[in-house]
Amino acid sequence: MAGATSATGFHSEAANRWQLRAGLRRAVRPAELLGVLGLALVLGFWWLMTLVISRTALPLPQDVFARIADDFGGAPELALYGVGQNGLLSSMIYTGENVLVSVAIGATIGTVTGLASARFRLAREIIDPIVLTAGTIPILVAAPFFLIWFGVARISALLLVILYVSTILYIFAQRAADNLDPVYEDAARTLGATPRRVIRDLLVPGTVPEILGGIRIALGGAWGLEAIAELLGLPDGIGKIIQVLSQQTDAEGIMAAIVFLGAVAVLFDALTAVAFRWLTRWSATWA
Amino acid sequence: MIRIENVTRTFRRAGGGTVHALVDVSVEISEGEFVCIVGPSGHGKTTLLQLVAGLLPPTSGKIVVDGVPVTGPGPDRGVVFQRDSVFPWMRVIDNVEYGLRCRGVPKERRRAISRSYLEAVGLDGLERSWPRELSGGMLKRVAVATVFATGAKVLLLDEPFGPLDYVTRHQLHDVLLNLWQATETERARTILFVTHDVDEALTLSDRILVVKQGRLVDDMRSTLPRPRTTDSLVVPEALRHKHVLLSHLGLEAPGPSGAVATGAGA
Repeated sequence: MAGATSATGFHSEAANRWQLRAGLRRAVRPAELLGVLGLALVLGFWWLMTLVISRTALPLPQDVFARIADDFGGAPELALYGVGQNGLLSSMIYTGENVLVSVAIGATIGTVTGLASARFRLAREIIDPIVLTAGTIPILVAAPFFLIWFGVARISALLLVILYVSTILYIFAQRAADNLDPVYEDAARTLGATPRRVIRDLLVPGTVPEILGGIRIALGGAWGLEAIAELLGLPDGIGKIIQVLSQQTDAEGIMAAIVFLGAVAVLFDALTAVAFRWLTRWSATWA
Repeated sequence: MIRIENVTRTFRRAGGGTVHALVDVSVEISEGEFVCIVGPSGHGKTTLLQLVAGLLPPTSGKIVVDGVPVTGPGPDRGVVFQRDSVFPWMRVIDNVEYGLRCRGVPKERRRAISRSYLEAVGLDGLERSWPRELSGGMLKRVAVATVFATGAKVLLLDEPFGPLDYVTRHQLHDVLLNLWQATETERARTILFVTHDVDEALTLSDRILVVKQGRLVDDMRSTLPRPRTTDSLVVPEALRHKHVLLSHLGLEAPGPSGAVATGAGA
């Protein structure tokens, strides 16, 4: 049987270990650690696959990263096809602009109509069927029509992504407003809040966490959708580069473009996550 | 003064048919009275409070507060709800200030008023906290401070302390009574307090209204001296009231000491 002295010794040892672990936890949060681990697993799997798949079909990870660096500021082989004169970066800026503009517009339309539909029965009865129908149209099926209707130009991609984002945000905003406990509105009214105040001080802040969650989801989808629209016939953008390179069966170049696009999308998601965390710091849902 | 005249309120049931939540209720409540409304759950207590608050219109009859008919919520009446109504997206101080902000009170003035009420409910130092950081009892303190800060002369409390533990509930009784009795305003505040807790009603009120099956079935006055202690509730008058209330709630058969008739009127 262990004596009292060894018991105290064990105690302090455990305390030390606990302190160490707490320190580590502060430095690297477990979620981030797991994220790095997941990324390493994917890269490892990719590398393993290159052992069985030919290089022309699946280039080495390091070659792809080197290609991103090479094509970053300018790519002569792309300029030959009239795209990406200034490399991946300029195409990424084109893609990024389209995504941010259409997410901003789509989120505004979706949020305003979604909140309105939750407040006014008439608005809900008119808009619900439209959105629910629009939501069932596969966006890939809609894309060629947009290109026919609005031409192979920026506007087609913008409208396509706006349609997608506003549909998602409509549903998120409506649900958020429906979920807001009616006791808050009763309390505000008895405290003397006007209808305008109820919207500004209750409806908007009370639905912000769910709406921001919807924006994050929509933003993630918007990158892919924008790339697809470009692939189907826009004059510029990362999707256009992929389309041009796929005609050359340049797997390395395609993967460079895809990895770059993915990295930018992840970066934007992280930035929005930080901003949203601050905006919804009153809510414990993310803590 | 609150005058409730022949008020009836019916609700349509989702599956058809109507519910008579309140049937021909008439009562007058004088300024400064602390009135508890007691009755079995689902018998119309909350409906009565919501009608006075103006959150529901009566089906027939009318309610007049200080000579003005109630047509909706108004600055003269404040409500503490059964559920937590503290806005989670506003800091504690902004919650307490909200009623004053709606009234257009300038910032410094409303800050000062809110601070004094936060202090009165024992939450000084927590003004910058978010509601999620507070316990259930603290949230009720915020709600009480908020409604007192508005300066409303009629306060309507709907089973405000129901879900709280015994100790917290008793602490909040003291908070409420201290604020009610504070004489910093020229006019006393009238309180309507819905509860299903007989002891709570006896501890707090000057007058107890019993609502059963939508009807006002009893109106008792309590002359127990304040401040009331545990001992105040075992004096003959308190026990007599308690027996009457318990028999109304169906927990005791009306006995000789607790006959309903002796409790009625004042």
